[in-house]
Amino acid sequence: MANLIDIIVPDVGGEEVEVIELCVTVGEAVDAEASIVTVESDKASMDIPCTDAGIIKSLKVKVGDKIKQGDVLGQMESGAAAPEPELPAATESQAETAPAKAPEAAAKPEAPANSTAASTSSKTIDVTVPDIGDATEVDIIELLVAVGDTVEPEDGLITLETDKATMDVPAPEGGKIVSLAVKVGDKVSKGSLVLTLEVAGAASASVDSDSASTPVAATPSIDPAPSAQASPAPAPQTPAPQTQAPKAPPVPYHPSAGDNVNTGKVHASPSVRRLAREFGVDLTQVQGSGRKNRVQKDDVQSFVKYELSRPKMNPGSSVGGGNTGGGLQVLAQPKVDFAKFGEIEEVPLTRIQKLSGPNLHRNWVTIPHVTQFDEADITDLETFRKEQNAIAEKRKLGVKITPLVFMMKAVADALKQYPAFNSSLSESGESLVMKKYYHIGIAVDTPGGLMVPVVRDVDKKGIMEISRELMDISAKARDGKLKATDMQGSCFTISSLGGIGGTAFTPIVNAPDVAILGVSKSEMKPKWNGKDFEPRLMLPLSLSYDHRVIDGALAARFSVHVSGALSDLRRILL
Amino acid sequence: MSEIKTQLVVLGAGPGGYSAAFRAADLGVDTVIIDAREALGGVCLNVGCIPSKALLHVAKVIQEAKQLSAHGVTFGEPTFDLDKIRGWKDSVVEQLTKGLSGMAKMRKVKHVQGYGKFTGPNTIEVEGKDGITTITFDNAIIAAGSEPVSLPFVPKDERVIDSTGALEMRDIPSKMLVLGGGIIGLEMGTVYHALGSKIDVVEFLDQLMPAADKDIVKMYMKTIKNKFNTMLETKVTGIEAKDDGLYVTFEGKQAPAEPVRYDRVLVAVGRKPNGSLVAAQKAGVTVTERGFIEVDKQMRTNVSNIFAIGDLVGQPMLAHKASHEGHVAAEVVAGKKHYFDPKCIPSVAYTEPEVAWVGVTEKEAIEQGLNYEVATFPWAASGRAIACAATDGLTKMIFEKDTGRIIGGAIVGTNAGEMLGEIGLAIEMGADAEDIALTVHAHPTLNESIGLAAELFEGSITDMPNPKAKKK
Repeated sequence: MANLIDIIVPDVGGEEVEVIELCVTVGEAVDAEASIVTVESDKASMDIPCTDAGIIKSLKVKVGDKIKQGDVLGQMESGAAAPEPELPAATESQAETAPAKAPEAAAKPEAPANSTAASTSSKTIDVTVPDIGDATEVDIIELLVAVGDTVEPEDGLITLETDKATMDVPAPEGGKIVSLAVKVGDKVSKGSLVLTLEVAGAASASVDSDSASTPVAATPSIDPAPSAQASPAPAPQTPAPQTQAPKAPPVPYHPSAGDNVNTGKVHASPSVRRLAREFGVDLTQVQGSGRKNRVQKDDVQSFVKYELSRPKMNPGSSVGGGNTGGGLQVLAQPKVDFAKFGEIEEVPLTRIQKLSGPNLHRNWVTIPHVTQFDEADITDLETFRKEQNAIAEKRKLGVKITPLVFMMKAVADALKQYPAFNSSLSESGESLVMKKYYHIGIAVDTPGGLMVPVVRDVDKKGIMEISRELMDISAKARDGKLKATDMQGSCFTISSLGGIGGTAFTPIVNAPDVAILGVSKSEMKPKWNGKDFEPRLMLPLSLSYDHRVIDGALAARFSVHVSGALSDLRRILL
Repeated sequence: MSEIKTQLVVLGAGPGGYSAAFRAADLGVDTVIIDAREALGGVCLNVGCIPSKALLHVAKVIQEAKQLSAHGVTFGEPTFDLDKIRGWKDSVVEQLTKGLSGMAKMRKVKHVQGYGKFTGPNTIEVEGKDGITTITFDNAIIAAGSEPVSLPFVPKDERVIDSTGALEMRDIPSKMLVLGGGIIGLEMGTVYHALGSKIDVVEFLDQLMPAADKDIVKMYMKTIKNKFNTMLETKVTGIEAKDDGLYVTFEGKQAPAEPVRYDRVLVAVGRKPNGSLVAAQKAGVTVTERGFIEVDKQMRTNVSNIFAIGDLVGQPMLAHKASHEGHVAAEVVAGKKHYFDPKCIPSVAYTEPEVAWVGVTEKEAIEQGLNYEVATFPWAASGRAIACAATDGLTKMIFEKDTGRIIGGAIVGTNAGEMLGEIGLAIEMGADAEDIALTVHAHPTLNESIGLAAELFEGSITDMPNPKAKKK
């Protein structure tokens, strides 16, 4: 027979949490494990599941209420004849899985009462969208798994695309996909349900403690809000085979592009439609500012104003052989039938290429670039580095120091000395935003294309620490596991091609940075020491900078400073 | 022969034509209007919308007086003075047409009386009582309207009438056949029935007012089943004029076996565009085989200085569509970049009860594969409808299912046409069910049924059982 049981709040981490969403309504039939409410603490949000299948009879809480462990959420009529199960045992294991639902490393919740009461039976957990920066309503562009698939922890589940980057939502735990709550084209935000995963109960405890010990940036103290600035290639490669048809290239940022829900049926009154007609405005392109996104006269006017003022960017032409002029009033590219000249094959651009192309194009076209070339004598540095590596190997530290780490330190030091290099032009172009932090982006060559993960606070970290971090993010970049937040906030970028070759190149400034350092292959060269020629290991440096912000003399000084620091690391200490 | 030079000539002074001419004049365009009638206003004012409404008003009062006997007030049998009824109707028309010519004079719009025919892309010739007038124009707006379709097998007999003949009301036939179950036929049938005629209606399709939704027409059929003998899916194959009447042969589902004798046959099978009557080809304007003239959204024909509006540019052939098109054409002539861009055009049958619809009908929603949901509020649940013995009514609203946005509505019942405006405005403004449901409608009114239908969709209705009560 049915019996009425109280739904009690399990251990939620020992503090009061706020109800942010009711997932069920009175009268609704729910399965065991279904979420009843979503709560949010200052560390994470989690769903509180019900212990039994049955029908919700009453709810005693509402959105905004503060609840804590032991509070009664409501009552449900359990379908089972059995008496109410001992709550603590069942719910505690649920509570453990809750933090795993927000697999955002930066805001790792303290796992409450971790690794107690590991249940042996399998259970299902809800996988939700983790913190994806400021972005909301993000498009799902690919499903990487299907119902019934078995996944390992950290396997990509779905791919999201914001206007800045694409990223995969990883599996918080290994298990089997029970159900998918989303499809390609859906828009999701932080906390949206992605799918339900059946995990082995025993596994969960280990996964929890595992991820808790993962040495990720645990203090998101310096987490600059992902600005409206696009980084050039912020997109992790998806590990799954790309079966999707090639997606249209992304359009550069546009206030009325993006989540356009209107699909032809525009919400605009007759007078606004008339105004739009007069200006030849396609109302489906205009984001309405009125109630329920109604397009108002002002919206049409500001759309026209914006369209007239903005530089015309054509992503088609910016990433390659498009035949429009790209808004630059240049001759269109001639159409060429390459097949006439021999066998050809058309290969779609990778997603990263498509994303970074328009940004690179914009940077190339809008920033007046100048490149300063220099050489650094790294003979002593290399000797020192090799010694240290030998020591590290002996001590089995598991770390290998690369020349790049010293360059990062040298650059951070130069940035402090010449703060203009650590700035961005303000939106209006009237002032400079000076940064008091020293985050350095590192261009990484990945199978999917160029990506720029960011190492934060380079000035405060030691060589070993940076080396470890660099190894970590490089691996992540190559595996396509970088998060959007891993690629935000850079002040300056280093692009090193030294491992491959070349004597110099002209890197493109990674806006909103104002400069970028290109590094080519070091070479033993004869250097005059005053008496005779001495073989010295010389590292070619190519510093591209935004001439609107930095003038040539300053760039030369910066470049000399970097080169000097690399020649003699002791100078950094001064 | 006289000659006139003008910036704009408007051919036809119906609601489309005079609206275009007046608007153009107000925008500073020198305008001449051509119409064969002495009075402006075209079919609508002279022999259409307006006189029929005068007679329908008479019919409505007769019927309501009769109905009142059920509520304890009995009047004597009415007696009809046809001359006076006609006089009333004519006075209504006269008042309006006089108003129009006054406004034309005030706006300095010159009326050239006669039939206009193009002679070139900038010239038109008007043949009138006083001879031929040649008008040279910069722009022209063709607003020549439409005329009733006549059937080939119908004999030429003064007992066979069209809507114009019916409005003349020479006498009250004891038995009349309405050929065609559309709006015009049903309106005139309503008038004659009230004045004592026995009315048969024959319709070739399976539904009266074929454009409207079935459920709406079903409610209408319920109310007229004692008034009209309706023969659906039936056609007339022949009419034989004999001395004692018109003998009509039927064929089809509800056809009587023998020819039936009628005193009158009202042919109301539709209207055909007059595009072919103005020699538009001479100006280079393309006219379709059926007499329509194709235009773009600015009402421009294939000839850039010649526009066309109203019945002859396509369905629906309604005065209010024509007048809006007329404004757009005039504004474009005056240099404004305007377009005819409505989301919906209302249709109203001024029968008793009225049948009115606007926006997408349910059949169109199905045809277009729209994801829609219907909410229908029956007037039997309306206090006001019960109080005024008008429970034979429905207010039906069609919403986009996902967004709740209103895309169509239909009303059958007393004053349905008056109530339709709110739905039209809601569609144009992009209102959704919640907006309408949260708009406080006066109680008790028939109009509040619109708010209540929206509440039905929203699941917040309390005036009748709420099918969505549990889901909310």
